[in-house]
Amino acid sequence: MSAAAYPRPRRLPLVAAALGLLAAAGLASAGAAAARRADERISPLLYLPSGRYLKAAALGFDPILADALYLWSIQYYSNYRVQDRYRYLEHIYRDVITELDPHYIDPYLIGSMIMTAEAHEPEMALRLLDKGIAQNPGDWILPFEAGYLCYSGIKDYARAARYFEMALRSPDVHPAVRRFHAEMYNRAGDARTSLREWGSIWQSTDDPYVRTVAWNHVHDLRVEVDLTTLREAIARFIAARGRRPARLEDLVAAGIVDALPDDPEGGAYAYDPARGEAAYHGSRVLGR
Amino acid sequence: MPGRILAIALNTFREAIRNRILYLLLVFAVALILCAQAVSLMTVGSEEKIIKDFGLATIDIFGVLTSVLLGIGLVSREIERRTVYVLLAKPIHRAEFVLGKYFGLVLTLLVNTAVMTAWFFGVLLAKGIADIGLAKAIVLLFLQFLLITALAILFSCMSNPIVSCILTLALYVIGHLLWSFDLLKARLPSAAARAVCTVLQAVLPNLSHFDVKGQVVHGLPVGGGEMAFAFGYLALYGAAVLLLACAVFQRREMQ
Repeated sequence: MSAAAYPRPRRLPLVAAALGLLAAAGLASAGAAAARRADERISPLLYLPSGRYLKAAALGFDPILADALYLWSIQYYSNYRVQDRYRYLEHIYRDVITELDPHYIDPYLIGSMIMTAEAHEPEMALRLLDKGIAQNPGDWILPFEAGYLCYSGIKDYARAARYFEMALRSPDVHPAVRRFHAEMYNRAGDARTSLREWGSIWQSTDDPYVRTVAWNHVHDLRVEVDLTTLREAIARFIAARGRRPARLEDLVAAGIVDALPDDPEGGAYAYDPARGEAAYHGSRVLGR
Repeated sequence: MPGRILAIALNTFREAIRNRILYLLLVFAVALILCAQAVSLMTVGSEEKIIKDFGLATIDIFGVLTSVLLGIGLVSREIERRTVYVLLAKPIHRAEFVLGKYFGLVLTLLVNTAVMTAWFFGVLLAKGIADIGLAKAIVLLFLQFLLITALAILFSCMSNPIVSCILTLALYVIGHLLWSFDLLKARLPSAAARAVCTVLQAVLPNLSHFDVKGQVVHGLPVGGGEMAFAFGYLALYGAAVLLLACAVFQRREMQ
């Protein structure tokens, strides 16, 4: 029998049918996905096992699994339509992503930002940052973030100073952290330590801007510390003599202070003998 | 390397580079490394880490797949097609045949890994984030491929490609899970059971020695001792597996 009796099967109808079926499947899939997206007010039943178990399942691909979950978490927490999206927030960042890759800094930073700014859970954010600090002892950004959160968020200045001190142990630390650290003691009410720290910055920096900023703080803190010292000495004088000193020099004569401090401009502090109060008549640079 | 082993190795290499699977895997790997750039755009923070993780994971996955998919058929397919008779009729020791096949695939993997690495570093250079420290991870991944290839050849000497593939992939999975024996031992009350776990830990291939991907991406140090240990472990374990493969192939009946 000749070849003409067996014509070659025509491919076009088959290919067209295949393309048609593919298009139908694609449209159906896109429709279903759109319907799912429309009903995203309730969080999908999210179950992510602990990072410890995921690490086992990852077979050495834990860093890329951490990347994938981090990318997913950014999209998930950017979706404001999901009402209960903070339900697993700590689990996802602290127990899963950072467990899979404990040296991945971004999830600590972004996770703590979401916890603070979106979920209003600063202590949760600090727990996440504490884990990051423990896992990455040479890194300064994590303790800095924790310190900044304590400073600006929960106003716990002593705790902030401790975090900034941790950040300062890193050789790569940004110079601005020293200024935050020095100021936290002032905010916490420890003007003497703050003066010492600002004085150290003022003496050691070569940057004219930093030097000016440091001097402004040193100026005002010095006034504050000196006036506190004089106030305490006057109180001790009154307790010992039963009267107010007539002049500040009486404090030296009575052996209560070794010498009277000069104000930052090199002049003497004023004294009101009627009220028994030392005062500074110059102007404070920072006005506090 | 004796001439006969070299001849078989070069022939195996020529055969492997004609295999479409190799090119398919390579194209996928190259495309995936390129995709890393697009994926990294979705992140908040360092894109560099995502690109590096993606690239190293791609080299790892596709290197392992190449080792397994080419390795499992190296010996068994020769037996199936009866082409092995032509070779064994010549004055060639069976062990030389197995070793030649192994080194041929090692050469293929070397070329394959070099292409993926060059492409990966090209992408990193284009982004201005190239880091020579990543090469340590790729060297160790290559050692892992060599060990997996040895295992694939061992199973290829014993059985058909499907069974070889399952067994090799099972050992790959186990090789990355050996640390979990420590968790198991902590929960086992019986000393004998714990001893069995210890023996299994020692006998099964520990592929975690070849995995420093996470370390190099974060710029953490990978010591010379760590590298030397991986080389030594491969030399001992790989040689043991190849000797076993030779022994199995020597006793194998050819009909």
